[in-house]
Amino acid sequence: MGHRYGLAGTWVLRGIDLALPARALVRVEGGNGAGKSTLLRLLAGIEAPAEGRITGRPARTAYVPERFPAALPLTATGYLVHLGRIHGLRTAEAKRRAGEWLTRFGAAEHARTPLAELSKGTSQKVAVAQALLAAPDLLVLDEAWTGLDTAARAELDRAVAERVAGGATVVFVDHDPRRLAGAADLTLRMGDGGVNRAKPSTATRPVPGPRVLIEAEGPPDAALPRDLPGAPVRERGTGVAPDLVRLTVPKPYSDALLTALLTARPPWHIRQVAPVDAAHALDAPEPTGPPGQAEVSEQAEVSEAP
Amino acid sequence: MTALLRYQAALLARSQRWTAPLLLYAAVLAVGVQSGQPVLGSLGFAAAALLPVTAWAVHLCVGQEPPAARAVASAAAGPRRVHLAALLTATGCAAVLAGATTAVVLLVSSPATDNGTHAVSRPAAALAGLLAALCCVLLGAAVGALSTRPVLRRRGWSVAAAVLGSLLALVTAGSPARYAVTALVTGSRTGTFDPPALPSLGAAAVAVAAAFLVCRIAARRG
Repeated sequence: MGHRYGLAGTWVLRGIDLALPARALVRVEGGNGAGKSTLLRLLAGIEAPAEGRITGRPARTAYVPERFPAALPLTATGYLVHLGRIHGLRTAEAKRRAGEWLTRFGAAEHARTPLAELSKGTSQKVAVAQALLAAPDLLVLDEAWTGLDTAARAELDRAVAERVAGGATVVFVDHDPRRLAGAADLTLRMGDGGVNRAKPSTATRPVPGPRVLIEAEGPPDAALPRDLPGAPVRERGTGVAPDLVRLTVPKPYSDALLTALLTARPPWHIRQVAPVDAAHALDAPEPTGPPGQAEVSEQAEVSEAP
Repeated sequence: MTALLRYQAALLARSQRWTAPLLLYAAVLAVGVQSGQPVLGSLGFAAAALLPVTAWAVHLCVGQEPPAARAVASAAAGPRRVHLAALLTATGCAAVLAGATTAVVLLVSSPATDNGTHAVSRPAAALAGLLAALCCVLLGAAVGALSTRPVLRRRGWSVAAAVLGSLLALVTAGSPARYAVTALVTGSRTGTFDPPALPSLGAAAVAVAAAFLVCRIAARRG
């Protein structure tokens, strides 16, 4: 697949052969002008490639641009309801989800504000909400975090993890290398019009990112539910607590993982949830951790008991 | 598609940009259509004036979304359908205007030929007038679609192409719009006229071909 703008333009992308897995978080990296945005627009189906083709795009695809200065004569809710219907939702359902997502991103008080009067950050929240309210199977985020406040960024991280846990493919570009660090299943590095796959475990994962430890207890002899969100690193308790499992996931995935455990049949009991210090990653849990990590350290003893 | 049409119609209705072409059309009609004039001539005039108005409406609908909003809608529904929805919204609005105008002209005009010697049946005039107006709406939509994004992106070229295209569509020999309007004007002189069915079909074919072409280009260029 390749793309250029205009019949005489230079090729922005050339000879790209790429298959995106389902239920995966895909990070796209590359310098300015490497063609990241073009690749995302092609993936989202906003443009058709000049040569080759893209097949198998899910029916529900959503895209969030970096800036959304939509001077449209609609209110935030009005716009979201229209977009929800375009995504195939019924009006009442679209209205309900619009309110829900605006609330999640802390923009509920702007529900009736005309789009033209919204601040840059709130406009971006509307752009993010329109993409998420359809629960898309392919979500394409072109620096969607830009302009969002800290709380909304964290919420978007969680919403992305939720979509991936729900089986969607999420493709994103962000200039911040710590964005969803350690959570990407696949990293694509762009340059010279092409794309290279980079394993997330290699040097392309500069920061492991904040992680969360979840200690769960299942019914006796129950196996862990399959396909847990965020591909958690797991350690099974032995001896005194054989049914205890310690799961470590990238922080954005913690809610999705908890939901999966609590809604499993039969449900799992959550013993505790604790942040993991990046320096004390799971592979080296030390009993003599700092005071704030007491629970984690204690847990290390449990799992290492004979 | 219904959702896209509702979205485009809501944008057009609330943007109030439709007021300019509508007022222009009303002004042109006020000058060209007088109460008590021969009905067929007035219908021909009203139909002809609809052609550039429709082209303008298409420009408005195709250009009313900022690029970011268009990209979002295109990802959700596909760029072809988004573009087609804009074209259909403009054409639909123009068709409604055509129906209303035809009704008004029929009410205020005199059902007779130019020299007043022959009577003109109102139902026959209504059918002929509606078909002629439809013909002009469809050709106007084709002219509008071909003279704006994604074919022509610069505003100056776009407006010039629409004006020139509308003029050519009305005066070029063989153009369905010219044929349909001429049929009404000649009928007003002689008293014999047929509903311009064939030109309407021709205009529909031109409009469909133009829509197909520009929607393809819209998908390619985003």
